[in-house]
Amino acid sequence: MSSDHENAPEADTEYQHAEDDGPQPEKHCGHGRGGMGEEVSRKEDKRFITGRGNYVDDIKKPDMLHCEIVRSPHAHARVKDIDGSRAEAMDDVVAVLTAEDLLEHDLATMPTLMDDTQDVLVNEKVKFQSQEVAAVIATDRYTAKDGAEKVEVDYEVLDPVVDAQDALDAEAPLIRDELDDQEDNHIFDWETGDKDATEAVFDAADVTIEEDMNYQRLHPAPIETCGAVADWDPGMDKMTVHMTSQAPHAHRTLFSQVSGIPEHKVRIVSPDVGGGFGNKVPIYPGYVVAAAASFVLEQPVKWVEERSENIQSTGFARDYDMTGELAATEDGVIEGVKVDVLANHGAYNAAAQPTKFPAGFFNIFTGSYDIEAAYGSLTAAFTNTAPGGVAYRCSFRVTEAVYLIERLVNVLADELDVDPAEIRRRNFIPSDAFPYESATGWNYDSGDYEKALDKALEMADYEHYREEQQRRIENDADKLLGIGISSFTEIVGAGPGEQCDIAGIEMFDSADIRVNPTGNAVLRIGVQTQGQGHETTFAQIVAEELGMDVDNISVEHGDTDTEPYGLGTYGSRSTPVAGAATAVAARKVRDKAKSIAANELEAAEEDIEWDRESGEFHVAGAPDRSITITEIAAGAYMNHPGGEEPGLEATNYYDPPEMTYPFGSYIVVVEVDRETGEVDFEKFVAVDDCGNRINPMIIEGQIHGGLAQGIATAMLEEVTYDDNGNVTGGDFMNYLLPTANEIPNFDTGHTVTPSPHHPIGAKGVGESPTVGSPPAIVNAVVDAMNHAGVSHVEMPMTPDVVWAALDDAGLAHKPAQNVEFEFDGASGSADD
Amino acid sequence: MKSAPFEHHEPTTVDEAVSLLESLDGPTILSGGQSLVPMLRFRLANPDVVVDINGIDSLDYLHEEDGYLRIGALARHADVEDSSLIDETYGSFADVAPLVADPQVRNRGTVVGSVAQADPKGDWGSILLAHDGEVIARGPDGERTIPADEFFLLPYDTTLDDTELITEVRVPTPAPREGSAYHKLKRKTGDYAMAGVAARLVLDDDDVIETARLGMTAVDITNARATDAEAHLEGERPSSELFEEAGGLAAEESNPESDEHGDAGYKERMVDVLAQRALGDAAERAGLVKRRVSQ
Repeated sequence: MSSDHENAPEADTEYQHAEDDGPQPEKHCGHGRGGMGEEVSRKEDKRFITGRGNYVDDIKKPDMLHCEIVRSPHAHARVKDIDGSRAEAMDDVVAVLTAEDLLEHDLATMPTLMDDTQDVLVNEKVKFQSQEVAAVIATDRYTAKDGAEKVEVDYEVLDPVVDAQDALDAEAPLIRDELDDQEDNHIFDWETGDKDATEAVFDAADVTIEEDMNYQRLHPAPIETCGAVADWDPGMDKMTVHMTSQAPHAHRTLFSQVSGIPEHKVRIVSPDVGGGFGNKVPIYPGYVVAAAASFVLEQPVKWVEERSENIQSTGFARDYDMTGELAATEDGVIEGVKVDVLANHGAYNAAAQPTKFPAGFFNIFTGSYDIEAAYGSLTAAFTNTAPGGVAYRCSFRVTEAVYLIERLVNVLADELDVDPAEIRRRNFIPSDAFPYESATGWNYDSGDYEKALDKALEMADYEHYREEQQRRIENDADKLLGIGISSFTEIVGAGPGEQCDIAGIEMFDSADIRVNPTGNAVLRIGVQTQGQGHETTFAQIVAEELGMDVDNISVEHGDTDTEPYGLGTYGSRSTPVAGAATAVAARKVRDKAKSIAANELEAAEEDIEWDRESGEFHVAGAPDRSITITEIAAGAYMNHPGGEEPGLEATNYYDPPEMTYPFGSYIVVVEVDRETGEVDFEKFVAVDDCGNRINPMIIEGQIHGGLAQGIATAMLEEVTYDDNGNVTGGDFMNYLLPTANEIPNFDTGHTVTPSPHHPIGAKGVGESPTVGSPPAIVNAVVDAMNHAGVSHVEMPMTPDVVWAALDDAGLAHKPAQNVEFEFDGASGSADD
Repeated sequence: MKSAPFEHHEPTTVDEAVSLLESLDGPTILSGGQSLVPMLRFRLANPDVVVDINGIDSLDYLHEEDGYLRIGALARHADVEDSSLIDETYGSFADVAPLVADPQVRNRGTVVGSVAQADPKGDWGSILLAHDGEVIARGPDGERTIPADEFFLLPYDTTLDDTELITEVRVPTPAPREGSAYHKLKRKTGDYAMAGVAARLVLDDDDVIETARLGMTAVDITNARATDAEAHLEGERPSSELFEEAGGLAAEESNPESDEHGDAGYKERMVDVLAQRALGDAAERAGLVKRRVSQ
């Protein structure tokens, strides 16, 4: 895809870094002022580490009330009656709200991001366990919870359907019977690519392979659950909502649309947010209930989820049942890829993604490979499970796509008995083929996949482990070795606005820079950090572009009253979009600074040059006649050139011309215990290429966190349901988050292939490791067993799952100690 | 944690605690709170009265005395982990202490509380069984000593009376040629055991196994001994073959259920694996030299 855009400046690649991974910190650029490429300590860490963060639950207001939500114990049930009288009779309970109360204010339903309509509080029928049925408002949170226990709900329990395949059965219970034209649980069919061309390639191919794989239901599980403090001010006719939002501006627009309160009378503030990972992109009933309660009661109302409420009712991720096929020559050149998916969307179609992409960017499933023909089809179904389909630390469904293609490539390698590194090499999009248009229509900006793979192979000591693997097979050792590779390509940085929108709003982003008279600056951005370090990296962009010290720049975000409109932070879009806006706005400031410099230096503007190294402006040919941005700032306010506006400020709304395509190669070496099925990580190499790098330390942190989440995906996490629709993986005793003990040491490296269309050549990185690592890990575990015919192991690969695969392949070792005991003086029995 | 309201009592002596248990209606005892507090939070437990024993300083001990290792009711898992007494001599204790849940839980949770909770997935019950341990309880009628063998009845149910407080659990100090070990299989740090086995061996002067004990975790309705395996071991000299046979017997004696930790067949197999591993370590700690056969 492509779009013409006046806003796409020439990429400025002059800060491309050297690519050494040596221990010495990078100081190639940044010029010592904390600009591009410097490992600046995070500005936000002081308040986080010293416990001075300000999260939603830290916000207290006078006369604030507390909201507790009554949730359904059933997955599918008709609500016959709700009796809140026992709760209302309690001393400190202020109100019990039901759908009936919300109907009076026209707030009974809310739109999802995919234009479905979800009950705020259940009107007639419960569609998933833990769905919101009523709300109790009390003077403290303990009483609210006590009151919620006293609300009596009379349910007529209905048969639930939990599995997507079962839901499409003609006999399945109809979940969405309130919709006029809905006669079954089918939501939509979607297809991509060229079916006929792909079939033709498959018909003629030397080799075809096929593999079924499930990408299990995950929950982003941010450490801070969702919550809001809503405060209706009847004097100002204004609604202020502090909420856990990854997209405060878009949420304000939606809030205004849902509530009928004019947008300029709605203020959304996203204060410090304790992790989002896509979970805080959708609107949830709790937010609306808190706002409705505040409006009705004219007092501030706080609602904060408990952990199990967060896991059981808010946006999940993945839940794709996939069948993938490859067609290839006998030399392992991939000619075609075919995919069929069954998607479980839960009780509402509430995926969080650009509205024109019902399956997100799943059609990036050709991955890093030059494949002639591709075809994908997908069917989405309603089930009696929580709604979702959020992008958990990934661009919309790219994680599923990368998992699919990276697993299929390994299956093909096994089939042809070609080394998995070699088969990737044979199929990579060549580095000189960019910009590259894929068979499903994506326009890759830049890449050098072989370079990243080569680097990873070298760092991993690949040949050594291959030999060791063989040695262990020959010795029938108790621990098998597996080596897995993933050479993934991400797609991040949505827009362009022409293709991508959230609820109709184009996915641009924004930055506003004001340089103060004393020479420091405030940058306001339309994206919202949840821990990514925006307050540091975005300041570094300004430091670089204006020659300022990074300490003299503060970054503000998250308040719709003061920040420029933006679409928020998810899909690794902050640096690709708002980072671009920041660079462009800074350059606008620099342009204006030039005219002030000319005035101050009494020279013609065309004779003024900016020196990136010193960060100063000087007269051409006379470097001594120079001026700093601090001096220029003073001039802008105290001695501004006649005929020009005073002040030194610029805004940019940036609509990216294209997405960016970060990539990398990960290599994972595992040991598989043939007695227990336990998997240990021997080596974990991650080479990432996110284009030009702003703060290598923050990137490193992002990579570590994302790899941990990838390991969690591959090894531990799954939201599970029983046949009755009860969530059986709905708390941290059953939804298994890894601890530091489960996370190995990582060897990270990088290559630098700048984005040609991004103003600073950056691509975005936060999600690459979560996207790229699960297939590397599964490939490694399968690789340990594929000499015995194992072609796939489903995630999460807990010991019992791996042991079952070992057992099926005849690889499980009967337990034995393989030891001898020595007794006093004499050697004892010698078994084995 | 938004529990239902309850009355909170803080006795400072055992006598005071016991009289509260006797006089109050349906009291629940709070020590480390690592089982009770989550149950309060989920409102699975809604006690009217909680007797919080954390103020009874006399119960905070871990020491050897009169031929026993004695663990007072307020000794935390971390106290065992950090104690200089707990070394190879108490091999199974040294093994288990760092495997209980996670550091946060170990800092608050108590050994006695874990035993009293009688969750079949709890680790300490298996250790007590393997060491012929005892539970010391104080009630209105005075003190009572309950052998670990006679303590566990059903999941979360023991022979303790409602008016009794466990003041101590204890195990005999190890014999000169004794070794013990605990092996636990879990999905992640903080997770309960998928299966666990504690082994204890006492050897005589001819390296013959005089006493063998195996305590199993998470594979029956309570922590349970593998008595057939124990009988098979006693009177024999340690060997890989013997331990293989014992592992197989222990697996047969276990009664696991299929659940999110794996199916029953897998868990039985793991009892076999873990029993052999624990026996191997126990034999080594009893003084034998263990040499790995090269692969």
